[in-house]
Amino acid sequence: MKINKILIANRGEIAIRIMKTARLMKINTVVIRTAVEPNAMYLSFADEVYDNTADDSEIPVFLNIEKLISIALKTKANAIHPGYGFLAENAYFAQKCLENKIIFIGPSPDALYKMGNKTIARKLALNNGIPMALGSEGNISNEEEAVAIASKIGYPVIIKAASGGGGRGMRIVRKSEEMEKFFMIASKEAEKSFNDPSVFIEKYIENPKHIEFQILGDTKGNIIHLGERECSIQRKHQKLLEEAPSCALDSRLRKKMGNMAVRIAKAVDYYSAGTVEFLLDSDRNFYFMEMNTRIQVEHPVTEIVTGIDLIEQQIRIANGEALKIKQEDVKIKGWAVECRINAENVQAGFAPDPGKIENLSLPSGQNIRIDTGIQAGSSIVSSYDSMIAKLIVSGKDRKEAIKNCKIALDKVWIKGTKTTLPFFRMLVRNHKFQDGSFTTSFIEKDLDRYYFNSEYEEMLAAWLATKLFVEENLEEDSIQIDFENSKVMSPWLLNKRVNQF
Amino acid sequence: MNDKLRIKKLYALSSENRKFSFSIPLKNKIRIGKRDYVVQLRADEKHGTYILWKNRKYPVEIVRSRQNKYEILFNDISYTFTVETPFSLQRMKVLNSKKGKAEQELLKAPMPGKIIDVLVREGATVLRGEPVVILEAMKMQNEIQSPVNGTIKSVMAKANTNVMKDDVLVEIKVE
Repeated sequence: MKINKILIANRGEIAIRIMKTARLMKINTVVIRTAVEPNAMYLSFADEVYDNTADDSEIPVFLNIEKLISIALKTKANAIHPGYGFLAENAYFAQKCLENKIIFIGPSPDALYKMGNKTIARKLALNNGIPMALGSEGNISNEEEAVAIASKIGYPVIIKAASGGGGRGMRIVRKSEEMEKFFMIASKEAEKSFNDPSVFIEKYIENPKHIEFQILGDTKGNIIHLGERECSIQRKHQKLLEEAPSCALDSRLRKKMGNMAVRIAKAVDYYSAGTVEFLLDSDRNFYFMEMNTRIQVEHPVTEIVTGIDLIEQQIRIANGEALKIKQEDVKIKGWAVECRINAENVQAGFAPDPGKIENLSLPSGQNIRIDTGIQAGSSIVSSYDSMIAKLIVSGKDRKEAIKNCKIALDKVWIKGTKTTLPFFRMLVRNHKFQDGSFTTSFIEKDLDRYYFNSEYEEMLAAWLATKLFVEENLEEDSIQIDFENSKVMSPWLLNKRVNQF
Repeated sequence: MNDKLRIKKLYALSSENRKFSFSIPLKNKIRIGKRDYVVQLRADEKHGTYILWKNRKYPVEIVRSRQNKYEILFNDISYTFTVETPFSLQRMKVLNSKKGKAEQELLKAPMPGKIIDVLVREGATVLRGEPVVILEAMKMQNEIQSPVNGTIKSVMAKANTNVMKDDVLVEIKVE
């Protein structure tokens, strides 16, 4: 059986990203229209739209296994691409696809299960000689046990959800008195997010870099890596900027870590695209953290520096084709950085700031790639993530990529919600970011300010506030504004909508 | 009306206590060093409202305005100003010198979401930075921490209920 029609069990930019490659491969696509986002941009990229707006189930359709299988069967899609998030790493979903003779574009249910359970993954890594941080043998059941293990391996320790990922259900504990509180929080968060309250403990590596390796494996047992990405710019384990390659690695360390990444993937007979995450400490020791068994948000930076379309590889592998790329064919060329432009209020601790995007203008050019599922008029809804767009910028080396990124950031125009743009404008000007010495604690420890403004911006804002005051209090005439189309209307009234939710 | 006509200067005070003064009538020019630069407020379909300054467009929004207080979003950064006349500025200075420290702290929800857990009870003492409430919003659980040392005076937040932005979660008596 060859894939001829893919149901995309996802939304937003990743749905569009998958459809772009599917179109190049002449494969039809089906997407799902939901009541939450009935006019979303991704709907216009598909060959077929399945209308699910009448669905009144409490579970979003992208998490509803039975429903997704039935939509695939109804629309005669013989494959499902889960994207990232939602059911992308759900072994049961992959199994259900298999049982219904639908190709799951991703790894085997067995690999999903083993890597999805962090305690099993830890054991696998240990048995295969992969460097690991010291930690509990398996799950721990109460805070007394946690305190006992922590005192053996030494504080600080990190509590992690066994079924976790994406930073949820994790807490760092620095002294035994904090254990009771954080154990409870982590366990509750784990139960809420993953339906599994089990947690385990690891030695917490202070100030590491987050380095991850992109893996590709086929169903014939060939596994290669496509080099690393550095994702150390993160806040509360949420990545904000990723780049490929990493300036922390030389070719020797790259080879060593890459080999380890391939080895752990082989331990579960991995196929499809996947990512092996490591922490790298200041002495260049590295520790296996986890394997992400899906396409990742930050995959574009790898695509740019390797020239390999990862979605295409996923589809070919799912079709049963052997990998045509050999390890020695993989060449890293240039540098790429990705900024996650989210609807978040940087000045309020990155709190989500959902709302309607009123105006949107994104740059384009040779060094720029934009992956987005948002257009002017779209809404960032609180039921989904807060991503507006991924700005991916490249250059011949890191310095040039950052320089190009700085220029591109000033060309992004988004109105309607607060965004992470001011953060990135600050970041590209920060010396520690520029010289590459930053670690995962950069945002928490090295920054006293989360945004950048040029010298006169605050003064101009003050001028505007004063102008408003004058017009509201000191003038009898209504507001006169220099409109380009000589339309007379008050922008203040128009703009009071912002932040009214 | 006569009072209004006499105003020669206005001051925009930022929340970080920076003062910007503008002469009235307000000009569309700002002097930097020895040169005047034109500042224009414009709007069009593609961009919405923006300020044109030294050949560059900056997105602007009025996020909130109440009496003389304005929250301006300028190039994606939020600034809050109070605009004062010379008289009101003088009055404010006098008032501020009399005002003591706040005795009550109302801890508000920073974003809409669902209360997962309330970690304090009435009468409990809390330290600055101690988590008080766990709020889930957009798939993340957030610890809402006490901004002050004090005693919990009352608890409004209930587990498993939804809250809107700025709903009061707990009231803390500052020590």
